Amino acid sequence: MTELSTAAQSVSPQVGAKIAVRDLDFHYADFHAVKNIHMDIPERKVTAIIGPSGCGKSTLLRVFNRIYAIYPKQRADGQVLLDGENILDSDYSLNRLRSKVGMVFQKPVPFPMTIFENVAYGIRHHENLSRAQMDERVEQALRAAALWDEVKDKLKRSALGLSGGQQQRLCIARGIALKPEVLLLDEPTSALDPIATGRIEQLIEELKRDYTIVIVTHNMQQAARVSDETAFMYMGELIEFGDTEKIFTKPDKKQTEDYITGRFG
Amino acid sequence: MTNEHTIKSYDAELARLTAEIVRMGELAASQLEAAIDVVERRDGRAAQRIVDNDDAIDALEHETSHDVVRLLALRAPMARDLREVFAALRIAADIERIGDYAANVAKRSIPLSMTAPVAPARGLRRLSELAVVAVRKVLSAYDSRDARKAHEVWEEDVHLDEAYTGLFRELLTYMMEDPRSITACTHLLFMAKNIERIGDHATNIAENVWYAVNGEPLQAPRKKGDVTADPVMPKLGG
Amino acid sequence: MSALVYRRRFAKNIVAQLLASAAALLALIFLGWILWVTVSRGVQAIGVPLFTKITAYADQGGLANAIVGSFIIDMMAIALCAPIGVLAGAYLAEYARGTRLGETIRFLNDILLSAPSIVIGLFVYVIVVLPMTAATDGAVTFSALAGSIALALIGLPVIVRTTDEMLQLVPSTLREAALSLGIPQWKLTVQVLMRAAGSGILTGVLLALARLAGETAPLLFTAFGNNYMTFGPLSKMASLPAAIYQYTNDPNPALHAIAWAGALLITLFVLALSLLARAVFARRKTSHD
Repeated sequence: MTELSTAAQSVSPQVGAKIAVRDLDFHYADFHAVKNIHMDIPERKVTAIIGPSGCGKSTLLRVFNRIYAIYPKQRADGQVLLDGENILDSDYSLNRLRSKVGMVFQKPVPFPMTIFENVAYGIRHHENLSRAQMDERVEQALRAAALWDEVKDKLKRSALGLSGGQQQRLCIARGIALKPEVLLLDEPTSALDPIATGRIEQLIEELKRDYTIVIVTHNMQQAARVSDETAFMYMGELIEFGDTEKIFTKPDKKQTEDYITGRFG
Repeated sequence: MTNEHTIKSYDAELARLTAEIVRMGELAASQLEAAIDVVERRDGRAAQRIVDNDDAIDALEHETSHDVVRLLALRAPMARDLREVFAALRIAADIERIGDYAANVAKRSIPLSMTAPVAPARGLRRLSELAVVAVRKVLSAYDSRDARKAHEVWEEDVHLDEAYTGLFRELLTYMMEDPRSITACTHLLFMAKNIERIGDHATNIAENVWYAVNGEPLQAPRKKGDVTADPVMPKLGG
Repeated sequence: MSALVYRRRFAKNIVAQLLASAAALLALIFLGWILWVTVSRGVQAIGVPLFTKITAYADQGGLANAIVGSFIIDMMAIALCAPIGVLAGAYLAEYARGTRLGETIRFLNDILLSAPSIVIGLFVYVIVVLPMTAATDGAVTFSALAGSIALALIGLPVIVRTTDEMLQLVPSTLREAALSLGIPQWKLTVQVLMRAAGSGILTGVLLALARLAGETAPLLFTAFGNNYMTFGPLSKMASLPAAIYQYTNDPNPALHAIAWAGALLITLFVLALSLLARAVFARRKTSHD
């Protein structure tokens, strides 16, 4: 009886888990990039994924909104349960998934449009809003991304004229304008200076009240600063996953400790 | 520390920190030995030298704090390194206190040398020997990051406490028997208390070594040998 | 020892630099020469009559009908090939990426890019001019439309190629960003990627226009030529390259001068297009990151 119940327990997601990853494997053609991952990402918390380059952390993130699917020869097997539903299931519509899971990339990539249109563009695809409603939604998103005050007088100007940090916050605004539930951040500050980075980190702290955030970062200090939970990946495997404070003061695994303290190799 | 940092100078800095602390600890231990010596030799001039020497330990402590702050600021240590640096800061503070207590013992030896000699002064040597052994052992445990050894020091403090309780009773008995010895015995009482405190600092160091190595506080009820503060003291001369 | 090594390297460097400069100079000499010959010989025929009189007046005339004809044919050709070329390029870059079909089409397009223009002229003669003649009982034979189709076939592979390449230059993160918002592929391609690559694509179209404006061979069997001013797409129509070809075959030196003037006009047109294309492309670079 006990064996059966523990097995069942490990498959069903933990209480409070927004995303439950089960037996996830990922292949780039012949390369086995992510190996048998099992993790529960808590709701309305910031979860950081750290690890050396090529450890599979970005790949894992890219499974969460199935963005990998636009490339041929990339394959994910296993289960990723978002609120209990397997998003890897082909029945799970991409439209629905991407309205629930937003993503921000390493380099800010504003669309070649005005600042206003950058935010409104995604909304327009999912919802039919009146002009006034749209104005309000765009303002809301820009405010939430702490960008409104800087751009409110130039909404009709090209987004390409903004600074890197502003562009990245615009991308975050674009993501949260769709009112997603999960926000995936793939090294969102690696192209930004420390001040812009600080603004984004402050923003992450504010956003976690409403969103479940998963952030991939190379910067361990950043993971330590912004996250509640930290996952360490190495060579495609999830080595350790737990409370950020614990990971950074007393990790259980030697590999984690070696990576965190800069003793790799 | 089984393997090295990718940045080699980081290792060098951590090693320097350890070396500084061990040197500082050794200095404190020899200060204590010297202090007991002057108590027995009733040498006021030598006692003053010991008191003056304490400045060297204080200077080393400053240096250590400075190194710790620099490591924190420039290397942003994490996990075990963080615990190491944190422990180093606290251990340095404990050693500084040990130095202070040793200097206190030396300082009291000056007025003590002006009173008539009393017999229990010999008990003080036994007590201080225990303390010196504890300090040396915990320093060696720190130097080799030997948590087991540190734990032994932590447990052995009970002997020091028992010795202190014994000396305490002995001194009380003396004072009751011969009120003329009260001045000397009171000095001795304070010295004994100082040495007992040194043992407590040695156990603090042991706890920090344990934390640096294992990442968790050393916590388990510790046997207490010092019962002098208990509300009902065991009957005297019983 | 090391001094010797350095001296040898220095010498090698000088030799390589000289050879490269000489090659560049040779190309520039011919370019300058062509420009000089065209300008010096054409300039004497340049005047108001060149633009106002038609070729029917021969040495008393000008190239008005050929200029108008060229303009009409070239514009129709670009109107035909630009939309098809851009869409085909978008297909290759966005939909057929990494597929065998896409690779095959890209390869065939490259062949078309280097196909001899006379072959294209003959091809259009066979598949457009002859069937039209048959269908209309000879009422319509050679036509401006057929000429445009031939020129469109010249311009098409250029546009396909540049569109394909320009779209491929758009960072893939832009695609991922749009797709991660749930934007469908077609909207992404048309509204985001084409806009991002817009000036590059426009450059391709301008270069295609420059390329087809200078073509003679495909026009000989299709638009044929006409000494009178015509505007209808189903009639024979004069064009600058065809008029130049016709005049240079004439023994009359006055006609040669007019031909040189025509050549100068085409050269200037192509030069202007190239400069415009460069300007458009340069603007893209400053506006992007």
